[in-house]
Amino acid sequence: MQIEFKNVIPKPLAEIEHYSESLWNRYVIFQSGKGIILNASSGKGKTTFVYSLLGLRSDFSGEILIENKNTKFFTESDWVELRQRKIAVVFQDLQLFHQLTIEQNLKLKAEFTGTFDRDSAFEKVAFLGLRDKWDQKCGILSMGQQQRVAIVRALIQPFEWLVMDEPFSHLDKGNSELCLQLINQRCKQLNAGFILTALDKKVDVKVDYEVKL
Amino acid sequence: MIKSLLFKYQEKRQLLIAVFGALLGITFLISSVHYLNKINEYGEDSEILGKNTLIIQKKVTSASSLGLTKTEFTEKEISKIKTESFIEDVKPVLSNNFRVWFETNDPYVPTFKSDVFIQAVSKDFLDVKSDKWHWKEGERFVPMIMPRDFLVMLNTFMNASGIPQISDELAMKLKFRLRISDGQKEEWVDTRIIGFTNEIASILVPENFMEYATKKFAQGDPGKITQIMVAGKEGQFGKLEKFMNDHGIESKNSQVLVGRLKSIVGTLFAVILVISIIAVFASCLVFIQYIQLLLSHNKYEVRTLLRLGMDPKTIVGTFFRYFISVFFFVFITGFVFFLVLKFFVDQTFLTGGIYLNDSISTFAIFSILLTFLIFAAVSFRTAKREVFSLFNR
Repeated sequence: MQIEFKNVIPKPLAEIEHYSESLWNRYVIFQSGKGIILNASSGKGKTTFVYSLLGLRSDFSGEILIENKNTKFFTESDWVELRQRKIAVVFQDLQLFHQLTIEQNLKLKAEFTGTFDRDSAFEKVAFLGLRDKWDQKCGILSMGQQQRVAIVRALIQPFEWLVMDEPFSHLDKGNSELCLQLINQRCKQLNAGFILTALDKKVDVKVDYEVKL
Repeated sequence: MIKSLLFKYQEKRQLLIAVFGALLGITFLISSVHYLNKINEYGEDSEILGKNTLIIQKKVTSASSLGLTKTEFTEKEISKIKTESFIEDVKPVLSNNFRVWFETNDPYVPTFKSDVFIQAVSKDFLDVKSDKWHWKEGERFVPMIMPRDFLVMLNTFMNASGIPQISDELAMKLKFRLRISDGQKEEWVDTRIIGFTNEIASILVPENFMEYATKKFAQGDPGKITQIMVAGKEGQFGKLEKFMNDHGIESKNSQVLVGRLKSIVGTLFAVILVISIIAVFASCLVFIQYIQLLLSHNKYEVRTLLRLGMDPKTIVGTFFRYFISVFFFVFITGFVFFLVLKFFVDQTFLTGGIYLNDSISTFAIFSILLTFLIFAAVSFRTAKREVFSLFNR
């Protein structure tokens, strides 16, 4: 699934000066199946990029094309289909339900598509070191643990793109590597691409190319 | 799981207030619609006069007996009554201006003969089936409606003669005869009773027959109009009664009493209906506010579910089903309260000598269904608007 950004510039960022190679106000293609890193300093629109791609913001000029269709003409069911089956997201603020357990959080998301596989989900959670937290409410987990739950939640749904907004901000190097291992494995399995946003610092991720904001 | 997530933050107290308000409103709404309908129907089946119809005449006073005032209605007076806002229709009651005898003509009944008065009123004012109530020249039988008091008198005669008394049903099967005369020539027609009335003191015959007999046997001037029929507008009996008092007009006491009763009780239930509509409307507003509050308290959950890809229609459906179950409880409970209330109100009416048909008014059922649909539609619309306002945000 190809994503194109045609001269997109979010209104709040219109007054800010951008790099010449910035995503904003240029024509950029995200080729399907590729691993891409979006690098930028704070306030350059990483979260805005994620929100605009998911249709959560529409305050931009230019066009975003998904499978050659302008998102401005997407219907509600188009967005639902996109979020359920085509783009999996790890939000920067995670968007977990704190009153639900890890299992319930994962089950809830996968139930939209009827694809919940408890054993597979548990395996991923256990792989990320949360085996004994399976039945615990997410509200009492640390930020790092919550971040790992959010990553697993994104991975267990069907997707063509995995979009992650600073997914390792609360993880140490060891846990980040475990997460990356899982992400790569799942993307390969689904023949999907990923877009990872990161602050202006080196992230040790093997990607196909880098886009600046 | 979704339900527990979406309804985690609830203001139970506000929900209880809305449920209580709606329960009271629904109970009184269905009760008032039911009784308004029943009061309007009261007396309709038992009598042959149409709805809200009275036969009125001027009061006979010492002055009128001495010929100082007149008891007949002039054309001008009838036209004036017709223009009153509370009057639906006015027609004169035609009286005989010739001699009439009523007599038995059946081998099973002893001979009985009596001078009688006959009258004719417009068919529009009668609540009788038209296939029975017609006559034209050459037809053998003249249908007639008999004052019930006349049957009582007839039975008194039967009893005195040692003959079994006759019931309404039997009287309607017996053959009678009307003999009419102008003092010189005489003619008779067979007649059958098709019904009885408590509202009119004379024998009623079809207008055609009266016109025929008047033309053939009337003596001197055409009959003066001393009685007229008026059909009052629904729920405006009070005005008609005041008009009658102001103009020295009277009607048969039972008709006035029934009209007055219907008017007073009808007004009472109309007031209750207005109050209950206000209560239902207010509770509907509280429900709307509650739905908005519920969605506002659970905004994070709803928005997150939408961001994760949940179909907004599923979320709207979850809220809608919840409120439908609440409304179902309210309406069923309200209906049960109405049945209990109805039992006691019917008993009270019965104690006062008023028997109301105990079936539940169709209008009441319709009103409760309509209100349920309004509540359902309003809750659906509110939930949809609120959920969709969070979509793509």
